[in-house]
Amino acid sequence: MAERATDRLLRLLGMVTYLDRHAGVPVEQVAEHFGVSTRQVVQDIDTLWVTGTPGYWPHDLIDFDAASLDQGVVRLVESRGMTRPLRLGTREAVALIAALRAMRAAVAPGLDRARAAVLSSALDKLTAATGEAAAAVDVRLAVDGAPDVVAALGEALAGARRLRIRYVTAADVTSEREVDPIRLLTEEDHSYLLAWCHRAADERLFRVDRILAAEVLDVPATAHPVAGHTETFTPSPDDELVTLDLASPVRWIAEQVPVESVEDLPDGGFRVSLRVAEPAWLRHLLLQVGAHVRDVHPPRVAADVAAAARAAIAAYGDLAGEDGPAGEGGAVAPG
Amino acid sequence: MGPMPEQIHPAERLLNLVIALVNTAGRMTKEQIRSSVAGYADATSDDAFERMFERDKDSLRELGIPVLTVAGGGHSDDIGYRIDQEAYALRPVDLTAGELGVLSLAVQFWQDKALRTDAARALTKLRAVGSEPAGTDLVAGLAPRVRPAGDAFGPLLDAVQARQAVTFTYRAANTGEVRERTLEPWRLLARGGGWYVVGRDTDRDAPRSFRLSRVQGRVRTVGEPGAYLIPADVDAAAVLSDRGTESTRVAVLALRPERASALRARAVAGTEPSGTDPWGTDPWGTEEPDASDPRLAAVAADRDVVRVPFTHRSELADEIAGYADAVVVLAPADLRDAVLRRLRAAATLDGPRPAVATPAGGTEALAAGTSTGAGRG
Repeated sequence: MAERATDRLLRLLGMVTYLDRHAGVPVEQVAEHFGVSTRQVVQDIDTLWVTGTPGYWPHDLIDFDAASLDQGVVRLVESRGMTRPLRLGTREAVALIAALRAMRAAVAPGLDRARAAVLSSALDKLTAATGEAAAAVDVRLAVDGAPDVVAALGEALAGARRLRIRYVTAADVTSEREVDPIRLLTEEDHSYLLAWCHRAADERLFRVDRILAAEVLDVPATAHPVAGHTETFTPSPDDELVTLDLASPVRWIAEQVPVESVEDLPDGGFRVSLRVAEPAWLRHLLLQVGAHVRDVHPPRVAADVAAAARAAIAAYGDLAGEDGPAGEGGAVAPG
Repeated sequence: MGPMPEQIHPAERLLNLVIALVNTAGRMTKEQIRSSVAGYADATSDDAFERMFERDKDSLRELGIPVLTVAGGGHSDDIGYRIDQEAYALRPVDLTAGELGVLSLAVQFWQDKALRTDAARALTKLRAVGSEPAGTDLVAGLAPRVRPAGDAFGPLLDAVQARQAVTFTYRAANTGEVRERTLEPWRLLARGGGWYVVGRDTDRDAPRSFRLSRVQGRVRTVGEPGAYLIPADVDAAAVLSDRGTESTRVAVLALRPERASALRARAVAGTEPSGTDPWGTDPWGTEEPDASDPRLAAVAADRDVVRVPFTHRSELADEIAGYADAVVVLAPADLRDAVLRRLRAAATLDGPRPAVATPAGGTEALAAGTSTGAGRG
């Protein structure tokens, strides 16, 4: 996709400001600094070279030391007064500060002191420079997981160490595995460890609040090619397609579960289709929201859930008492 | 509008305009801009020039570089333009490589296109004053992120900044009802997998929250900017959730061996069991199950008894119901009832389903008992 003119303009102005403060910077370093290719830096310099004040005679133009550039070093010799850094717009400041605040609250507990301090100082400097309270946007990320588990994950990621974890799956099966951590994904509802699982010999995503114990091993984590295919739950087309007709109060299912399709029904209810890789996960969900389920396809899924529910009621023995009215209760919006 | 090599690239034209208006002695008129700033000669007509110049002014304003209008001494359409560098300069800030690395991570944080664009622009501006390239080793392996907020986010954020009321069509989840709402927005919040706007619902004259994914169509501003004040002591999170008033209690649960490890991991210790007190007691002292009740004793036989603190009954009841027969609630009784309600509803799933609700009513029970959603707009 072509870069937007406004985004390029910002970088062009930013480069002049930066190069005015740093005499003689290798092209590669300019590229790294602005997060673009060296080819893009050369194009940007060519553009800057022909811009300036009206008249556009040589002395009107932004100018670089050509001999130096031949050696691969960018040296600005005329800035045409464009050296002032640009103030952040309100929305820009809000976007950065809200992100940093959420990160500090959620991610810092898993960081060592030095790294947490950098996060804090970046936030403090930015707040001071923008004078922006940024109260308009307030993001809270999931801070789940036992503190000692979170600390172990942070240590293993920072030091590239292998971990031994005890993990319980959505199907409530507990196992021990050795994993090489790749990334800690922190989101609003849960955080996940993306890791290479030696037992599965593949990438796996572990929900941090289901990691029961984690031990940093005295073994370096080996680098594995990250396919990234497990970074989000992407259902496979081979998984069973289940269709649910649901009442409006469980609308969050359409919003938070990766569904294939959502269709509004005339009375405020809705129909979702989803691919189910793990039948235990769907059973868990339907046991919670049964009061709001109107129809399930295939019917075998409904039978499975109903049987599990009856077994659970039976486990209460005499405590279950009389059958109360079905249809009360049920999940509304997990928070 | 295809690429035409002989034309000057829009970024180059914008840059020439900025340099010209920063360096002008006093001001430049439109005519001077059109005839002297490189790039505007491409405009083939007066109209094309006007459109180009207006669009460029908008682009610059969006980037935080406002073009000022300066009236001339002469007749009324003698208007000039300039850019005041002082007005748009960033206050001094000295960022280390590590801090810039953190800021790069903050850009990745947003999966929302609009928010990511805003954050990326901020980062470009800050890179200009950073001395070293962003160091990424400090943040290696971390990927905090927030899901997209949707189209309603941008207009709502602008409205919060401008303190301007908005109106939008909203689908209430409790009832499925779709209607127009008018709101004085205060804050945008991301919580538990969703984006919400909190503000004063002017029809109800009360604080309300709305989930952005349930806003249908466009968000439109109504009335003047600066029309209201955002309460200084607003507790937006409390408006969002009316569950904040529940106090922490302890559930006493009987678990099948080897099962529900996630619940076990959150368990707190009770006192040592004894002959008279087979399950021990916990220091929280909340509603201990009566160990002499033969019904409880029968249920707990061959199971592990654990104590799990909780704040939101409905959340824990959902979780426990999901475990089916692996978890039985011994106490408190209201939690047990909540779990049993869910299980009884699920037990009917293979039977005849309730008829689809019609405006004439019929399935009242479906909407009952949804207390946790009552405070949502």
